[in-house]
Amino acid sequence: MEANMEERVYDLIFICRPATPEDEVNKIVTTLEHSTSEHGGKIEKTERWGTRRLAYRVAKHREGFFVYMVVKSTQGDLIKELERRLKVSDAVIKYQTIRLDEELKRQQKLGKHRERRASRRPRKQAPGAPPAPQPPQQQVPATAAE
Amino acid sequence: MSDQPAPHETPSATPSASPSPSPSPVHRSEGHTGGPPRRSEGHGGGGGQRREGGPGGPGGPGGGPGGPRRGGKRQYFRKKKVCRFCVEHVDFIDYKRVEMLQPFVQERGKILPRRMTGTCSRHQRWLGEAIKRARNIALLPFATEL
Repeated sequence: MEANMEERVYDLIFICRPATPEDEVNKIVTTLEHSTSEHGGKIEKTERWGTRRLAYRVAKHREGFFVYMVVKSTQGDLIKELERRLKVSDAVIKYQTIRLDEELKRQQKLGKHRERRASRRPRKQAPGAPPAPQPPQQQVPATAAE
Repeated sequence: MSDQPAPHETPSATPSASPSPSPSPVHRSEGHTGGPPRRSEGHGGGGGQRREGGPGGPGGPGGGPGGPRRGGKRQYFRKKKVCRFCVEHVDFIDYKRVEMLQPFVQERGKILPRRMTGTCSRHQRWLGEAIKRARNIALLPFATEL
């Protein structure tokens, strides 16, 4: 049943405490990678945004170390597992997973649609340009008044 | 005031002052002052005046900028606002690009309404979603504490 599910794309962001040593962040990333491959998923990319200011206080911290990943998976269980792991790790103060494949699909569709439309009907020059009614006389009295 | 037969000078002065809102990302700071084109004393708010706040979208008011109407009492100008995302053909608003979302959020974290920014309804919908996602992961504030 799960094998039939088509591939989904997820954005995964998590925030570690600013004081977390680099090793620990690496450790979290590797555990995530490990459980992803276990569930037959794939991590497309991992970005470390580094320490940045949080827009609001999270767990009494004003800064946090952001890590951003793109995960591809055909199993919903994977996300459950990843979130569980993030939840139990002490260094992580916040995480968010967002399913993006539908939006990416929409994006592609719109792009294709636009391309097709552009190729089918080449743009006329100045489509319905109204006769720009900027009356120059108006400026003359204004300058005169000054 | 309305007795004056030739109010030529007033319109020439207003357009330079009011239409600044539309394209610039300065909105955020202008949030409070930028509104005025809509609420400029209403001129008694006779009949259709009210609706004016609405049409910012692509299909907005007929053609071109709301030109000077000689017949009516209305003598203020409104520059037609254009959806910035439509102009740039944006098919997907990324919640991770905070600097792009920032102009559409007030100082305190509120999402700016369409009538201020001129965003079309579709893009406003996507924008709202993106802002909410960014808020969830502490990239944007829910509300700034003082």
